[in-house]
Amino acid sequence: MDELLDIAVRSLFVSGAATILSSAWSIPLAYFMARSRRIQYVVAPVLEGLVGIPTVLIGLTLYMLLSRSGPLGFLNLLYTPQAIILGEAILVTPLVVSVSYRVLRAALEAYGELAYSLGATEKQAALTVLREALPGLLAAVAMGFSRAIGELGVAFMIGGNIKGYTRTLTTAIALGVSMGEYELAMSLGVVLLTLTLAVSIGLRLWQRAWGYD
Amino acid sequence: MPRGLNKILVAIIVAAIVIAAVTISFTVRYSEVRVRVTTTTSLYATGLLEYLEEEFKRSHPGVEIDFIPVGSGEALRRAAQGDACLVFVHAPSLEKKYLEQGVLEQHRIIAYNFFVIVGPSDDPAGVRNASNAVDAFKRIYVSGEEGRARFVSRGDRSGTHVKELSLWRLAGLSPQGKPWYMERGAGMADTLVTADELNAYTLSDIGTYLKLRNDGRIRNIEILYVNDTELINIYSVYLVKTCTGDERRIAEEFARFVYENQDLIAKYGVDEYGQPLFYPARDRESELASIWADLAQSR
Repeated sequence: MDELLDIAVRSLFVSGAATILSSAWSIPLAYFMARSRRIQYVVAPVLEGLVGIPTVLIGLTLYMLLSRSGPLGFLNLLYTPQAIILGEAILVTPLVVSVSYRVLRAALEAYGELAYSLGATEKQAALTVLREALPGLLAAVAMGFSRAIGELGVAFMIGGNIKGYTRTLTTAIALGVSMGEYELAMSLGVVLLTLTLAVSIGLRLWQRAWGYD
Repeated sequence: MPRGLNKILVAIIVAAIVIAAVTISFTVRYSEVRVRVTTTTSLYATGLLEYLEEEFKRSHPGVEIDFIPVGSGEALRRAAQGDACLVFVHAPSLEKKYLEQGVLEQHRIIAYNFFVIVGPSDDPAGVRNASNAVDAFKRIYVSGEEGRARFVSRGDRSGTHVKELSLWRLAGLSPQGKPWYMERGAGMADTLVTADELNAYTLSDIGTYLKLRNDGRIRNIEILYVNDTELINIYSVYLVKTCTGDERRIAEEFARFVYENQDLIAKYGVDEYGQPLFYPARDRESELASIWADLAQSR
């Protein structure tokens, strides 16, 4: 039971941190894309295509980079929770950018032009657009979190599934399956789904509490 | 300062403290030394390695042994990349390859058990009457071709898979691509469950088979062939050459501890399964070494 709690809290922490980290660069990038029409025709389809990139491919790529014999081996990040956070942040970037970009472009078209025509400064217009786009951006972040907490490839390849240190819900499920402990794996899966749904519903309630719907 | 702002400030500070505490508790390890150990899943899944770690930590507090459970192939590859300090594996021919590449050193055979050929109880291929393991595989091949039997292979370059391939090679047969030969690409437990569902033959280590049978996970397939020389399964531990410093020192001590405390291995699992899952290598060391050398040759 203690171990289950430990794994569940670690999963929440790792994927939560990865989502926040990813949002920190994904949302500004999406805003930049929504503003500049020239790059959006190239970058948007590429990122949309990468939304479903296999997690194990990102995991393997990062493993080759972070390995002791790899170019970033000196960082000593392999087999740490930090490495999983970084990997999952990269993994969910295409998803968060793609969804945020759509939301921001719609908000820019609806409110940005209006704000400018009413004589708003660049900063004021940006704030208006962000405020209007907030529910959509939160949805993008929630989707990013769901993808991060549910992924296996990155956590397995660069986390190493070390008990009490880098074992997450998904790697514990995979280990359970490989040991033939199907009931254990299934109950971990129920915990994972419950957490994912709780976070998603929690975000929605929070939005409503702040007056958005 | 207006009250609303005050509240927000307090909330931010509380959130910052919580985030900092969670981050520290999940990313900082209190142990002084961390030893990275890649290991074959079959050894890890029985719980034996964690049991040995616990015993070892009694005399070595402040040490953390990090087991990274993967197949033998991946365990060795990660070692070659410099991402492990110790390796526990059971694939002599692969081990030899990495020894020759200069990746590994200080080979110690720590334990052994047996591979078993399992299959449907009505045994359409007649494996029960086989004169040896190679003959058993020939029989499976023949009835496979006749459409009376199927074989599920690990297909994941694990120690068990390597053993299976060497048996096909000794039989002079290559079943790859045959409709009755399925490469599962998964761990032993998954492969056994698949074989059980399909009423097919497979090669398994005895430990995983007994565990699944005990748990009621598999019902249809049973042990049809055992042989205590041909189908021996030898577990070895190696030190990785690129590993240095304190990590190397503790890794060496842990490897020696496991080697010197094989009685712990011998009694592990007896209470639960009524028979040991692994046998200590100590009593048959020179014999095992020569069997290991033979197995290493047979690629």
